[in-house]
Amino acid sequence: MNASETPAVEVQGLSKSYGSVRALNGVEVSIGAGEYFVLLGPSGGGKTTLLRTIGGFVKPSAGKVLLHGYDVSALPPDKRPTTMVFQSYALFPHMSVARNVGYGLRIKKLASKEIRERVDAMLELVGLAGYGERMPHELSGGQQQRVQLARSLVLDRDILLLDEPLAALDANLRKDMCLELKRLQETVGITFVHVTHNQEEAMTVADRIAIIADGKLVEAGTARDIYEHPVKRFTADFVGENNILDGTLAAADGSKATIDLGFGRVDVPIDDDVATEGAPASFSIRSELLKLFPAEGKLPNGTQALNGTYDEAVYLGLTISHMVSLPNGAAIIVRNIADAAEHQKFERAQPVRIVWTMTSAHLHTS
Amino acid sequence: MTDEYGNIWAYTLKWAYTLLVVVTLMTPVFYVMYISFNENGFGAAEYVFTFDWYRVILEDKLLLAALKDTGILTIITTIIVVPFGLLAAKFYKRTRYKVLTVSLLLSPLFVPSDILGSALLVFFKNLSKTFEALSDWLGNEWFYGWFDLGYMTAIIGLVIYTLPYVFVVILITMGRYREQQTEAARACGAGAWQAFWHVEFPQIRAGIFSSGAFAIILSFNEYTRTSLLKGGYDTFTTVLISQFLNEGMSAQSYAMSSAVSFFAIAVIGSVIIYTLFRSEKLDRLARDKAQPVMSS
Repeated sequence: MNASETPAVEVQGLSKSYGSVRALNGVEVSIGAGEYFVLLGPSGGGKTTLLRTIGGFVKPSAGKVLLHGYDVSALPPDKRPTTMVFQSYALFPHMSVARNVGYGLRIKKLASKEIRERVDAMLELVGLAGYGERMPHELSGGQQQRVQLARSLVLDRDILLLDEPLAALDANLRKDMCLELKRLQETVGITFVHVTHNQEEAMTVADRIAIIADGKLVEAGTARDIYEHPVKRFTADFVGENNILDGTLAAADGSKATIDLGFGRVDVPIDDDVATEGAPASFSIRSELLKLFPAEGKLPNGTQALNGTYDEAVYLGLTISHMVSLPNGAAIIVRNIADAAEHQKFERAQPVRIVWTMTSAHLHTS
Repeated sequence: MTDEYGNIWAYTLKWAYTLLVVVTLMTPVFYVMYISFNENGFGAAEYVFTFDWYRVILEDKLLLAALKDTGILTIITTIIVVPFGLLAAKFYKRTRYKVLTVSLLLSPLFVPSDILGSALLVFFKNLSKTFEALSDWLGNEWFYGWFDLGYMTAIIGLVIYTLPYVFVVILITMGRYREQQTEAARACGAGAWQAFWHVEFPQIRAGIFSSGAFAIILSFNEYTRTSLLKGGYDTFTTVLISQFLNEGMSAQSYAMSSAVSFFAIAVIGSVIIYTLFRSEKLDRLARDKAQPVMSS
């Protein structure tokens, strides 16, 4: 996002409380025009509340919502330049597909001919040409979702909010619809704000992802940044398959920090002095960046290792996950491609070493 | 029988019992109707079919005036109570205090009709005096007679009586409606009223009309509260009961009772028949359009 451009959506100090429950707590987010932005997080974390506040369906307890620089916090949903796609499709069951899609245009009091043309064009765009006279209950889940998309996109608003739009679809259909959504967003060029708890969905469609948990913005960045370089412990825990070990910061010299895990020490690369010695710290590394070696023997140069005890292997088709127990009882997962040539077989309870390169690991102090 | 492991005798007994209850409820009604068409009245050895008794009641000016007043009360009550019931149902769906809301709205059902009627009578009398005192204090007669017994007090009593029923019927219908559709309409640019009228109302319309039919029947048939609050005119049921008390069950009374039953059955029957026809039409349309649904 260009720093000089006005963000399409900006949320400043947004809080929302329901009695004693704090659904949102001082959230600050900025979304650029034309961006596909995903709010990712666990259920109950506040991402849907944030989306609905942007859309005007929830009134914030504090803070502001700005759309294209204008404060819309006091405006109802029909007065905002947003439109929304819901998890449960929310099609009007008593209206045909064409009447569903054209509903917003009829509210705007456009001419019938124009409504018909725009509806037909939009149904063509979402791959439902010729389905105008069908009723919603005659459509499959994927088709109903496309009708919802058409109904939203036909309004020519420049911000589309999607609340878990693919949650009700089966896994294969969800994959297809992810790509479909991405294609649509690139075609129409408007801002999409998409809520999901599914990481694969988020990574497929997003230009940028914001992790929302416990009503707070935990971290935001591109999909690659979030996955490969998580800053917060929560992000490492939530995104991808990271092994996380907790300890204390034993030393830090500006380029490297040493974490005392109690049963061993590991070095982690850092950019700056991140915390004082003795402070709690965590170390994370993705399971696919670990390798298993026997307890005896030479290790590759530039690697680190921890001793453990081999438990079992779980075959998952594309990958095999090896479960290893550490001396403190913590479990480590080492994931490899299933048909890779260099696999070595291990026996249950066999002593092994978990090996990685230092640059693969990350330090988390919060 | 849908349960293939069920006991056929238990199933038969269940339906026989249901039929017995329906017959027990409806037999007196149908018997009264049967008598009302007998020229010789109740207990006569010979049955001669006639419409004469209905002609008599239609020529009875007192009765026709009562019917007119009953019609006015019924229509005005229905026009007031159905929107009230709808607003109450919508409030119930949104509020966190559901138990309190339901308790308040259904409370008239737990008060016997004569006690509620008497309480309202005393209330209106005191309110009338208060308003008159206010008028005297202001030095005019603006507030005189506002709560004298008449149409207004009878209508207030009928609204209080019918509101719980209307509320429950509409609430049950709204149970199938998803609020997200209203939000979707708002997201399409519709205002609150437009979203209700275009999206919600068509889906709860049947419940609203049913509650209106219910309100009509209840108002038409109501006696205790109305007789206490109506003031100086008569309603159909007050004339009917007065005739019972003064003259006993005359042949004309049978005709009047049957007329009330015919009216109720006509209203309910119309709603049922309309619903059945509409349901059959929608099923037929759906079957005509049925095609294998492909996942895409």
